[in-house]
Amino acid sequence: MSVAILTDVTKCIGCLECVAACKKTNGLELDHPRTWQRDDGLSARNWTSIVRKPDKKYIRKQCRHCLEPACASACPVGALHQTKEGVVVYDGSKCLGCRYCMMACPYGIPRYDWDEPVPYVRKCIMCYDKITEGSEPGCTSACPTGATIFGERDQLIAEAHKRIKENPGKYIDKVWGEHDFGGTSVLYLSDIDLGFLSYGSRPDYTSLPARTAPAMKAVPYAFAGMGGVMYGINWIIKRRQKLAGNPETDKD
Amino acid sequence: MDRVQTTKTVLWMLTGLAAAVGITRFIFGLGATTNLTDATPWGVWIGFDVMAGVALAGGGFVMTAIFYVFKREKYHDLVKPAVLTAFLGYLAVIFGLLFDLGLPWNIWHMIIYWNPHSPLFEVGWCVMLYTTVLLLEFSPVPLEETSHYAKVRNILMKFRFPLVLLGIMLSTLHQSSLGSLFLIMPQKLHDLWYTSILPIEFFISAVGLGLMMVSLESLVSHWLYRRKPESDLVSGLAKFAVWVLAIYFIVKMADIIIAGEFGLIFSGTWESYLFILEMLMSVIIPIILFSIPSVRRSPGGQWIGSTLVVFGMIFNRLNVGGITMMSATGDTYVPSWTEISISLGVVSAVALIFLFAVEKLHVWEQRPSHPESAPHTRPAFDHASEVWLGTPFAAARTKYSLAFVLAFAVGFAVMPEAKVEGSGASLVTVEKARGGDTLYIDGNHDTYGTSFKHALHVDSLGQKQSCAICHHMNMPLDEQSGCWECHRNMYTPTDVFGHDWHANPEGGRLACNQCHTENQERSEANAKKCDQCHTDLIPAAATIKVDSYSAPAYVDAMHELCVTCHRERAAADTTRAAMALCTACHADAPSGYLKAEIMEELPAVRSHPVILPEQSVAEPQTQGETGGR
Repeated sequence: MSVAILTDVTKCIGCLECVAACKKTNGLELDHPRTWQRDDGLSARNWTSIVRKPDKKYIRKQCRHCLEPACASACPVGALHQTKEGVVVYDGSKCLGCRYCMMACPYGIPRYDWDEPVPYVRKCIMCYDKITEGSEPGCTSACPTGATIFGERDQLIAEAHKRIKENPGKYIDKVWGEHDFGGTSVLYLSDIDLGFLSYGSRPDYTSLPARTAPAMKAVPYAFAGMGGVMYGINWIIKRRQKLAGNPETDKD
Repeated sequence: MDRVQTTKTVLWMLTGLAAAVGITRFIFGLGATTNLTDATPWGVWIGFDVMAGVALAGGGFVMTAIFYVFKREKYHDLVKPAVLTAFLGYLAVIFGLLFDLGLPWNIWHMIIYWNPHSPLFEVGWCVMLYTTVLLLEFSPVPLEETSHYAKVRNILMKFRFPLVLLGIMLSTLHQSSLGSLFLIMPQKLHDLWYTSILPIEFFISAVGLGLMMVSLESLVSHWLYRRKPESDLVSGLAKFAVWVLAIYFIVKMADIIIAGEFGLIFSGTWESYLFILEMLMSVIIPIILFSIPSVRRSPGGQWIGSTLVVFGMIFNRLNVGGITMMSATGDTYVPSWTEISISLGVVSAVALIFLFAVEKLHVWEQRPSHPESAPHTRPAFDHASEVWLGTPFAAARTKYSLAFVLAFAVGFAVMPEAKVEGSGASLVTVEKARGGDTLYIDGNHDTYGTSFKHALHVDSLGQKQSCAICHHMNMPLDEQSGCWECHRNMYTPTDVFGHDWHANPEGGRLACNQCHTENQERSEANAKKCDQCHTDLIPAAATIKVDSYSAPAYVDAMHELCVTCHRERAAADTTRAAMALCTACHADAPSGYLKAEIMEELPAVRSHPVILPEQSVAEPQTQGETGGR
């Protein structure tokens, strides 16, 4: 089973109940504006937030739980990893704090405990404990208008397309997250462009780990190849020197 | 020999400064000592210490390849210093990384937790292995100092060629993998730098940089010890470098042209100028200079050319490592002086080790004489005028210690207070409410406050007896203290107890045992509460009990006080459900919610969210939908 969250931007009234529920469910402390926070409201203690746009548009921001997560592929010790449900979770006991996940995430989601001497990476884990218990995440259960709902990914995508079809002109004909960066588990329906959620202006449908994969696959060949070439060159040079009977072959 | 002594004094000073910053970093965390943000999680410690550090240490594998593999025997004198520089370079990388990693004590986790998909995992392993290889490659030099370890040394010498080969193979991997690190960030990295052949470009440039770093290091160290420069060898390396840099240039330009990004170079954005500057420094000018034989052989040409390549390539690593991501992230990162001092301090520390090794070990064919043992003339007492004549004498080592200790102390002295506190919060002082019967409460003067009808609340809550519902503290000599007097900061809790004033002879003149329990560690836990001495501080009827020495943030205190009460009343009486809405107080907020601007400015303010009563949900929802159409 692959779980997902669908957020319908047109239904969101910006009441922040999801934010409050998230804080409560995950036991997050109060937060105050810090110099190192971005202006989207997410922080080490705010795992979801409401981004306000003109004309009363409220967009809930949270981890997208990519189907092919860049963060998990980047983590050198596998502290971030994808569960069989498609949720990207974090194991702080493995983490060494390199913050490569934060660099790799195209949505800029993971946040850091910058003010802690023992800091960890913080982000939405889709209330994984509740999901495994058969329940749903805190945010979706708290939403008073049904703007953000939890379910199975295929069903939610079908539901999203159904809403687009049934309300012609209401939505932009795109389910955000269906294909972006290889697909995400957190999907959006919207009447405004949501490109601002990710870094960079161009839409990108290729999975990010796939961009590193060729380089990583070449590693053993580069290793053995360089060794072979260097050994071969050395063998030839030594043999030439021996044949010439002259160890000094150098010239400027 | 004053040149060496001055250099060492400066290096010790930088190390001392870095030591002070380093201690602060481990006590108060990264937020206190760096300008890193959630949008820029990698700064100068990664860009310079790791990315440029590894590339600079590339001289090790390049020189061993030239000498042992390609059998260019004439470069013999450059091999040992190059291997030493590489080893110390990698030590600096690892040491610098310990400051940058959030949990540096977990660095060994890479050995037991594997993620082979991660380029960083591969870099980590290669750096670990290659540092070991470099140690084994270099250790015959210190081992030859005594005859005790002749056997060990012989074994190491026997395995020298396999070690060299392994070193070259490992270097190929991680020099290129440092480029692979950024393949996963196509949205962030600027198009002129992002390419799928980034690992190849990184490898080629590391070879060119390695050659020039060995040259520069030879030039600097020979200048330092006033030795005859190895200009013949350096010009030979420069000739190699021309070829390598030319290949790098062709590969890079071909890649940009094939990707159809050639126009970007002259597009006039700040990145395009950065790119042109980088290419001029790292490739174009050095190629032109070194292609002219007379310039290549002249000391001036060697200095300028190798310096340009070294700084140009460091510039390249910084550009890839973060500078050219600023447009995409919208976050302008400028390293703090504390970050720069750590970077400089780590480099200074390894430079000191290098100088030590050069003086004490057989790194060069001919050891330089110890600058510290240079003869000096002590000041002499002149009996005629009864004064000491001559320069006051301070032994070199005393001078170094003094430089270190002074810089260490200065480091703490100039550390900004906010940095040391590690708060990272910008303080917003609270302004008191204005008015009389109706108070305008707007602590941060941003006009999104509320008109609080004080008289109305007094009337409806029960006249005099109602004061204690809200007012819970009267400061000494005060009756009903204003909220702002304790909740002095808009967003962060404030310490309202003046400990030092109470203990100070100028102030309260209290002895420790007048508040703290005797024979126990003095802490907040075993101290008297405020109202045990100031009996009239907290009104007897106060509903809110004051049991802490710090007052919550103004905005939290106000919301908690008002919202809790409003919510209870709304729940008790369904006809007054609107009381729990934001509009109940913030009437000017559009359509029942706080204005967009204030929420964007204060993302984390809503610590006490208002629960929407069931009945009122329908109304704003329809409003939201009509707004959407």
